[in-house]
Amino acid sequence: MSGAPREIVSVEGLVKEFPIGFGLRRKRVLDGISFRVLENEIFGFVGPNGAGKTTALKVLMGLIHPTAGRARILGHDVGETEFRRAIGFLPENPYFYEYLTGREILRFYARLSGLASARIPERVELLLDWVGLAHAADARLRTYSKGMLQRVGIAQALVHDPAVVFLDEPMSGLDPIGRKEIRDLILRMHADGKTVFMNTHILSDVELICDRVAIIVQGAIRYEGRIQDFLAAGELETDVVLASVAPAFAEALERRFGPLRGKGEHVDLKVPAKALHEVLEQALASGAQVVSVTPHRASLESIFLSAVQAAAAPSQGGRS
Amino acid sequence: MISPVRVVVLAANTLREAVRSRVLYTLLFFAVLMIGTGVVLATLTYVEHERILQSVGLAAIRLFGAAIAIFLGIGLVHREVDRRTIFTILSKPVSRAEFLLGKYLGLVATLWLQLAIMSVAFVAVSLLAGAPLPHQTALALGLAGVEFALIVAIATLFSSFTSPMLAALFTTGLYAIGHLSRDLRDLGAASELESVRAGTRALYRLLPDLESFNLTTQALHALPVPAGDVLFALCYGAGYSALLLLIGAVVFERRDFK
Repeated sequence: MSGAPREIVSVEGLVKEFPIGFGLRRKRVLDGISFRVLENEIFGFVGPNGAGKTTALKVLMGLIHPTAGRARILGHDVGETEFRRAIGFLPENPYFYEYLTGREILRFYARLSGLASARIPERVELLLDWVGLAHAADARLRTYSKGMLQRVGIAQALVHDPAVVFLDEPMSGLDPIGRKEIRDLILRMHADGKTVFMNTHILSDVELICDRVAIIVQGAIRYEGRIQDFLAAGELETDVVLASVAPAFAEALERRFGPLRGKGEHVDLKVPAKALHEVLEQALASGAQVVSVTPHRASLESIFLSAVQAAAAPSQGGRS
Repeated sequence: MISPVRVVVLAANTLREAVRSRVLYTLLFFAVLMIGTGVVLATLTYVEHERILQSVGLAAIRLFGAAIAIFLGIGLVHREVDRRTIFTILSKPVSRAEFLLGKYLGLVATLWLQLAIMSVAFVAVSLLAGAPLPHQTALALGLAGVEFALIVAIATLFSSFTSPMLAALFTTGLYAIGHLSRDLRDLGAASELESVRAGTRALYRLLPDLESFNLTTQALHALPVPAGDVLFALCYGAGYSALLLLIGAVVFERRDFK
């Protein structure tokens, strides 16, 4: 038996083009993307707005037909229907039949998912309790808040106990408490052995809970891998605080590292790891005092922004 | 392979949505009111009170039924796409054909429930006025139900790929043409040109013939209705509706839900 984790989602060379206007022109939204999601991982599909995250997820959910390429979930082509018993999906800003109550909507989805009738009441009550909606189970959904609807969305995605769960911007529009609750629910799914695919642009959430990420910018994958490896690949920077800096040395620093941030006698600058030794030597030689030296790893956010800027640079004229 | 269980679940939910909608009760109220109006209209004439009362009643049932079918049918699929409720449904093991069929059957069930309520009102008014209720009345009401199912199929087809506004335009247009298609055929048959006769015959076969479901005259005058005519109307309605749904399913299958 192989120790390698099983591939749950595999996407190869996926292309999606949408017709524009009368169909004479086409806009390429996905430009031959490939990635894979492994068993029992929390996979973050990360990118700025308009990068193609939701389009890719909709292809996986069978809501959009790909122009070219192949996408498979649990070994099945995404165009198939029956294997969907094993997957759950939370769309972005989910909307449900507001004339139904929380309990009724979960029963509806459970029946559609092919859950055995005998198991439905037990699963529905369990999920209502799990997402903290037991108290509102008999209220119509039109009376629910955004956070409650998000939790209904998660409950319907899990009601049939799927092996894989796809979440599109699960924390979008929620307050910090709501985000924390959803994060905890995702971690719980993971602990239950489920594979979680999460579309998001909230990088702090990705850093907190994802095992692996794929970064998509302008319809192309820029990075795919473990989040620790991704962060390690980022440049190490050091915050250096100096005091009693001579004007000539301050000018030399500004020419090299840009405007200095100063507070009282102290001057604060960010120095790349490779230049640190040289800067410290010059500072001491000029008579400055070194107050503190704090190394830190670049955040996912700064690395992500660099990737977005790098992708945008060669195509300033825009794509179609 | 279509799963009957999933289709029934979707149909039951569509019926439940209609039952919980206030708009529907308003329409139903006006339909029943219109049937009752026949009593007032009947007093304006010295002869054939009962026939006028029943004529107005049957016309009200057919007109309001068609109006409700168009009104609810044109947004049947579009509403689900627009509000994105379709996203979670199609992410379950539900095919697009099952979705379309479930929505269609749910709306047909809604229409038939309304027809039953309107029929009860019609029978009550007829009994109160002492009007006769021959068995042809039941046949007329039954075939009105088949006509409603066909109108819903037309609306569902258009709703599967276009906006409610255009779907309303196309469905209302086909409804009107459907009641005139026999006239078109007869007009063409009177032509001396074979090409005109053949053209109008082909057009008649292509367009729905909604007059096949109109037994108002037979019901009012208790005229005999051949069993073959009823059977033909049933098969024609079912076949035409099935064909429209099949086209709708093919179109719907190719759509992208952005």
